[in-house]
Amino acid sequence: MSNESQLIWKHEAGSGTPLSLRNVHIIYGARKGDVQAVRGVDLDLRAGESIALIGESGSGKTTLGLGIVRLLVKSADISQGEIIYRRNGTEVNVLDLDKKELREFRWKECSMVFQSALNAFNPVLRVWDQMRDTAQSHGWKDKKAIRQRSLDLLGFVQLDAERVIDAYPHELSGGMRQRVLIALSLLLDPQVLILDEPTTALDILTQRTIIDLLRKLKEEQHFTMIFISHDLAIAAELADRIATMYAGRIVELGSADDIFYRPRHPYTLGLIRAVPKVVGGFQELFSIPGSPPDLIDLPSGCKFHPRCPYATDKCKTEEPDLVTVGREHEAACWHWREVEEELQTNPLHSV
Amino acid sequence: MATTITAPPVKNIHEKQRESGFYRVTHSYFFQKIWKALFTAWVVVTLTFFLIRLLPSNPVELFIQDLMVQYGMPYHEAQDQAAALFSIDLNQPLWGQYLDYMWGLLHGDMGTSILSPGTPVTSIIMRFLPWTIFSVGIALMISFTLGIILGLFMAYRREGLLDHILTVMASILSSIPNYILGILLIIFLGVRWGLISVASMRGTLSPGVEPGFTLEFFKDALYHAALPILTYVLTTIGSWMLTMKSSTIGVLEEDYVTVAKAKGLKEGRITSSYVGRNASLPMFTLLTIAIGFVVGGSVLIETIFQYQGIGYILLQSVNKRDYTVMQGVFLVITLAVIIANFFADILYSWLDPRIKLGKQE
Repeated sequence: MSNESQLIWKHEAGSGTPLSLRNVHIIYGARKGDVQAVRGVDLDLRAGESIALIGESGSGKTTLGLGIVRLLVKSADISQGEIIYRRNGTEVNVLDLDKKELREFRWKECSMVFQSALNAFNPVLRVWDQMRDTAQSHGWKDKKAIRQRSLDLLGFVQLDAERVIDAYPHELSGGMRQRVLIALSLLLDPQVLILDEPTTALDILTQRTIIDLLRKLKEEQHFTMIFISHDLAIAAELADRIATMYAGRIVELGSADDIFYRPRHPYTLGLIRAVPKVVGGFQELFSIPGSPPDLIDLPSGCKFHPRCPYATDKCKTEEPDLVTVGREHEAACWHWREVEEELQTNPLHSV
Repeated sequence: MATTITAPPVKNIHEKQRESGFYRVTHSYFFQKIWKALFTAWVVVTLTFFLIRLLPSNPVELFIQDLMVQYGMPYHEAQDQAAALFSIDLNQPLWGQYLDYMWGLLHGDMGTSILSPGTPVTSIIMRFLPWTIFSVGIALMISFTLGIILGLFMAYRREGLLDHILTVMASILSSIPNYILGILLIIFLGVRWGLISVASMRGTLSPGVEPGFTLEFFKDALYHAALPILTYVLTTIGSWMLTMKSSTIGVLEEDYVTVAKAKGLKEGRITSSYVGRNASLPMFTLLTIAIGFVVGGSVLIETIFQYQGIGYILLQSVNKRDYTVMQGVFLVITLAVIIANFFADILYSWLDPRIKLGKQE
């Protein structure tokens, strides 16, 4: 891969927070009522860090990811909050951008790798055409330069660049398409990269190559990334910080180590206990009882209380806010100390 | 790469066969296509040959009756005159006539008209077919293009007021038979409201206008073809619109359209290359099929508007049992469908890279 060395990254892996979410609410209008998919999310994304959003299906993680680039379906509405994007000292609220500004913001500042790379490409255009139109839409004129950068990026994602660039999407395997999509997402050297379940549709070996690639991106290029995943193993491997989402809220936020070894929210604990271990023989798998809440008619108080083993009367009436439970570690639970005690008697990862 | 196991090259008889030039030619995509097309043509030609001879009466009988009715001739006299005029021997056994006909066809000879002795069928077809291709072709282009644009528009504005209005209009238009619409046009535009002079619009050209590359000729040709074209457009545009609308709605939900938006592409580029191009793929197959039916679909319209095209001549020849002309016209219709299908395959593989010619087993 001699091409790699020629790749130039413009983004600065410096300090600062390129993206801040402030009290973001997202509502889907449905016939039965409003679906409250995201309810007041606050999150600061620091430059160069990768943050994973984990949670069950329907917890609002993908909605939040799409909301950041304002790609939600028409029935959805970001009803409250601010999405602040910063670059070179200037800051804008993404929600205030007009059509043209939004178009320019997308992909150039914040690109997105989608869950279903299989269908992410226009079937009638070659990979090259889809890279070219992306670059040209953002003002690149020099075709030669676009082609060279495309080839470099395809080489970076370990593909046979010369062959892949002139291929049609159907001529590529699922793993190859996912890599092409990653290369495409890097084309304009965005400051923020959102990855929505980047490995879900792939077999386990292909997952491995994609994870290795993403790790290379994170460790060597210091990209600022948001991972959306329900796969805890991938989150553990790729994320610096992890945010657990439940019923449209972040219920726990902390470093990957804290979340995996010292969770303080019963829901996070439940998620970790629900992952089978390969070693250690057969153990009874833990499952969280009940199912995710109805987002139209949410339970009162803490939204997790109907499924929570620690629930008390207080949980039924009052919804807890995030409180500091450790260094750079927050959880939204009235009973986080009980979770802590439980973990001391019954540790998570007995090595 | 781990260890790779290479199997020793084993060649069986089958593979050897595959390498020979003859096998490759006979199993090539185009050879198979042409073979199938020829077979279809033969079946249709044979069927029409026998079917039209099953029609009650025959050209000589009808001619004799005509003479008797028109000129009050006695039967014998009329029969003698008919025998003198027609060279056709209808007493020859049917299979003999069939073999003669097929032998002629193989030499590119469709025979001569029975009722206008000495006029080759080929020249009759060459005289009338261009008018049909002209009128129906233009109509098809207009309704296809407009239908695709309107369908795309409806899908983008779906559930809006304009979408509802256009959908209702399209449904109504596509369910009116073209001959009824043609009659309605004559009655309302021509007779009731007197907006147009139907009488002067009959025919393919005004008297005195000579075919040629002159503006006058084209204007006159369009003037005469206007009503048939209007009828074809109005009766076919509805189905183009509705098909395009549903196809577009499907494509709009595809992931690659969302990705295109996420990539920050310009709206026009997304609509043309991402949505429009993919949504119109199935339309092109339908278009080639529609082209195939151009010739056959013109019979009633050309009769209603007295437009002398191939459909008009078909009806005339059916009425007079002019076997050879009927056979010729049916052959043209068959060939139109076969050729259109052939082109549909080629066009589709060109528009949609996922479909490659000659790769199917």
